[in-house]
Amino acid sequence: MFDIPIEGPALFTLAFGDIVDYFSPYTLILFIFAALFIALAILSRPEQHTDIIFGTDGVYTKGIPADQQKFQRFMAIACGLAAMGAVVSGDIFNFCIFTSMVGLTCIGIVASSQSRHVLNAAFEYGIVTMIAMIPLFGGAALIAATTGTLSIWELAKDTITVPFAAKTFLLLGVMGEGMAPFYVAKAEITRAQGAPYILMIHVSSLLIFLRIIEIVITI
Amino acid sequence: MITGDAYLVGTGVLFIAVIICMIALMREKDDLHRLILTGSTEVIALSIIAFLATDLAEALILPGLVVSLAELVALSEIYINKEGLPPAPVQEHTIEAFSSAPPIIGCILVIYGIVLSGFTGGAVAGVGLIFYFMCLGHHEQFELLETVSGYAWVLWVLAFFIFMILPSYWFFAVMMAGTAIFAKVLIKMALIGTMKPSGTREDTDHV
Repeated sequence: MFDIPIEGPALFTLAFGDIVDYFSPYTLILFIFAALFIALAILSRPEQHTDIIFGTDGVYTKGIPADQQKFQRFMAIACGLAAMGAVVSGDIFNFCIFTSMVGLTCIGIVASSQSRHVLNAAFEYGIVTMIAMIPLFGGAALIAATTGTLSIWELAKDTITVPFAAKTFLLLGVMGEGMAPFYVAKAEITRAQGAPYILMIHVSSLLIFLRIIEIVITI
Repeated sequence: MITGDAYLVGTGVLFIAVIICMIALMREKDDLHRLILTGSTEVIALSIIAFLATDLAEALILPGLVVSLAELVALSEIYINKEGLPPAPVQEHTIEAFSSAPPIIGCILVIYGIVLSGFTGGAVAGVGLIFYFMCLGHHEQFELLETVSGYAWVLWVLAFFIFMILPSYWFFAVMMAGTAIFAKVLIKMALIGTMKPSGTREDTDHV
């Protein structure tokens, strides 16, 4: 624990009973990054999508209904909070739950959209996240079965070796849950209506990837 | 806890189930069928956890189940929106007992639920309210009840924080959690009874 180069010294621990969250310089940076983007999601106004009417000087703006904007903003904030939980979690299973919550809220951010190709992409991504729950929870269950604990503090000790297969499963699961930006690019919704909230999909995906690398190296 | 050979055999069987599921998902082209198949992958994921066969597994299954159900519901909503499916038609039923029995049975169940208290009590009282609302209809707006349910849930979470941070006040926390979970389960279940979209009992009588 705290002896790998990217991790740095322990800064602060937060104990909820026997589940102990920890902040090192590495996870603290990820945490601040998530907090920053939550603030952006709260403060920023959604982008208005402008189209030019071909052959004329006219332009028209596609606005977003207020309720849809509220829902997207709520989901973006929830997504940021789930990513925050995932980056500081000191327990493998909590990390898995927060990661699948990131997947769920990523669907939620685009789900209120009315355009069919966006909904299609969200549906495809949703199926991938649900399949990814097998390796994600499978990896966590395998770790609990072979070592008897899920706490990263315990798993980081030299006396406990986590099987390579379990680490691979965890990584596979996070790859599935963090697949969202691929579908965002596929449906070209980066600059669709409500653009600042879409950013949260990219941020949360990046954060859970960076965190799983730290976990896999540590345990 | 299951150890050794039994665990290996069990995970082997589950691995075969995963492969079958993956092949099915690969071959299936219809979106609705794929949605149902992903439901079965959730069951496999929960089975892998369940095969730990310890208390820990029991504690892990519940959040896993909640997240997977939430994803399934979200995907179903997206599917309905995507395909532009209309809401299903509702069939009205008019049976004499459904107008006279609800006040008595609902009352008995709610009082018994209050006596039981906690999660079980909430469920019992909730069943009474579901029966009442489903049979007799409703005219009120239920946003207020939803708000109360939300605050009850917050109380429940607060009680857990008291357990963790101030363990000496455990009795107060138990009372708080018991009351809050009673209110929350009761209201959530009562809301199910009000889900009938149109045509309350009174409306159909006038027609």
